[in-house]
Amino acid sequence: MKNTLKEANKIVSNALAAEKKRELQRNKQKKKICLIELQAKELLNIFGIKMPEMKLTATTEEAQKEAKSMGFPVALKVVSHDIIHKSDTGGVETGIKDIKSLKVSYENIISNVKTNLPKAVIKGILVEKMAPVSTELIIGALKDPQFGPVVMFGLGGIFVEAISDVSFRLAPINEKEALEMIKETKAFSLLNGFRNQQTLDIYTVAKSILSVSKIITKIEHVEEIDLNPVLVYPNGIVVVDAKIIIV
Amino acid sequence: MKNKDNIESFFNPGIVTVVGATETPGSLAAGILKNLINMGFKGRIYPVNPKYKKVYNIPCYPTILKIPKKAELNIIAVPSRFVPEILKQQGQMGIKNTVIISAGFKEIGDEGITLEEDIKDICIKNGIRVLGPNCLGTIDNYANFTTSFLPWERVRRPKAGGLTILSQSGAIAIAILDLAAQEGIGLAKMANYGNRMDIGESDFIHHLIDDEQTKVIGLYMESVDNGQRFLDAAAKCSKTKPIIAMKVGKGQAGAKAAHSHTGAIAGNYEIYKAAFKKAGIIEAVTLESFIDGAKVLSMLKPPKGNRILIVTNGGGFGVIAADCCSESDLNTPGTSDELKKKLTSKLSKYYVVNNPIDLTGSATDNDYKIAINTSLIECDEYDAAIVISLMAPYCMTDRVVDHVIDGARFSGKPIVVCTLGGEYTMRIKRMFEERGLPAYPSPERAVRAMKILIERGRLEGAL
Repeated sequence: MKNTLKEANKIVSNALAAEKKRELQRNKQKKKICLIELQAKELLNIFGIKMPEMKLTATTEEAQKEAKSMGFPVALKVVSHDIIHKSDTGGVETGIKDIKSLKVSYENIISNVKTNLPKAVIKGILVEKMAPVSTELIIGALKDPQFGPVVMFGLGGIFVEAISDVSFRLAPINEKEALEMIKETKAFSLLNGFRNQQTLDIYTVAKSILSVSKIITKIEHVEEIDLNPVLVYPNGIVVVDAKIIIV
Repeated sequence: MKNKDNIESFFNPGIVTVVGATETPGSLAAGILKNLINMGFKGRIYPVNPKYKKVYNIPCYPTILKIPKKAELNIIAVPSRFVPEILKQQGQMGIKNTVIISAGFKEIGDEGITLEEDIKDICIKNGIRVLGPNCLGTIDNYANFTTSFLPWERVRRPKAGGLTILSQSGAIAIAILDLAAQEGIGLAKMANYGNRMDIGESDFIHHLIDDEQTKVIGLYMESVDNGQRFLDAAAKCSKTKPIIAMKVGKGQAGAKAAHSHTGAIAGNYEIYKAAFKKAGIIEAVTLESFIDGAKVLSMLKPPKGNRILIVTNGGGFGVIAADCCSESDLNTPGTSDELKKKLTSKLSKYYVVNNPIDLTGSATDNDYKIAINTSLIECDEYDAAIVISLMAPYCMTDRVVDHVIDGARFSGKPIVVCTLGGEYTMRIKRMFEERGLPAYPSPERAVRAMKILIERGRLEGAL
């Protein structure tokens, strides 16, 4: 546990230091920054939370090669420290089935970002293996100025804010509280064999809520966490998108 | 015996000064003095006002500087512009605690904000703890002490009991007090902190952990004084004493500009709810459920299990209660064959001996005795009961109160009563409450009270 925290803290402080450097170079201060995917993946991995296979690429050819080796379908995501809401700027393409359409998607992203956010520095394009479709959840966390760290669980995907089927606890939480959080939501019925479907892996979800609770309470500088969507299967979960805000 | 802490002096000071003392009808200080005298406060009172030699026949002093012995608490009820000078004098005299009843501070805007900052500085420099400003202060129903100026002819004083009310709002505090008296709830203490310049709910909750008279805390919150201290105090306190809280201002957005979905959804209210859960606090969502909950928690101990029996003499009300139980996840198992047999042998064959036990319109008060004692004592298959007693049938008399109360006492199991109707029924309801069983004027409210009691049982780890 001690080593785990040390490693995790290192990732976050390195990211912060790199951001400071960029700020100096550009003579501009940003208060909150978002870890890029690879950093988020590394951080979550320390706590046993899985993200899909992903590779950062610099050219279309490189992306095609990586996609081929990890297998289609894949998603492409722009990687930039200047973009927090990637899909809003046209920086995400999903469900890419072959090499030909990958090229089109790749060029789309570059031109979308150049049009929408011309000043954004693009670090590259991420090729990510698409996880199979399943029930989408959200696991989140934040630091409240009065009560300190808070964790959230609920139904995920693009309707999170519209449906708001979520439960909250002050962190840190224990195993029992993590399970209670799941059971309090309507999402629970979807996990628990809804209409004779297979029961989904509630325990790994609960363990992941616990891990997020650990990250928000134990890792300095982490302010907000959004794991959304979290795809849950009969055995295991995959976090498709992770937004980890540090200050 | 433990040392008297600062907070104790706000409830039961040996010597108290009232600055601004007068007999002028309608003035704050006159109201406070009259209340103190009429309640029978046993401590010493020093009225302070240069205009008078005596106030209500008690010797009056021109300034605090002239009082014969150091006071434990100073009550200030003068226009706000005089408050800084009085606090300086109080500091000189080494009086460490003050209740500032006066309004005209932060709540009125810029001018008041400056004045409040000034008095805060004076208090910090002189080590004075402050309740208020702009508040009613405290009531101690055992010490017969109050700093409230509201006349007891308008607001009924509850009997001495175990409930302590903590409220940011003075109006709510007084309304709850009045309702508590009406509902037969006994009061230990009340504190209202108004602008909460210094002392707030966290200090009070911390103090109440060891307060002998306080058995239950009813907390009305608009905001929190200090999140971490509140959590620590409440978590410790709720281990032995139930806390029921109502949080208003639910629509307030979260405090930060959110970058995440989590931040966008997490409003202020969701985080309070999470904080209540963490601290073992029972949340009441409406004022009605706040009073209902405070009542049941004050009068009953949680059941040892969650098997609930319903007894009624009106079939329809039994069904409503059963419906409410199932909606609230309360367990109402059917009667066992053994119990059925016993009940049938003792009661009219027209009665329905299931759960609910329906004694029908033919029920006599003695039937209640049989139904309750047989199910709760002879057969140990229920942990608690909701007893609906409708008073319209001729054979129902006030003896039913004795029977139900005996049933609760002999079985050691909590009984929540539901009785609804007009004046005659309300008299019966009061009889139940005077003798310590909570009664509610609808099955929905009785079930909700039972749910709160069971929730408390869960928090105590019994269920």
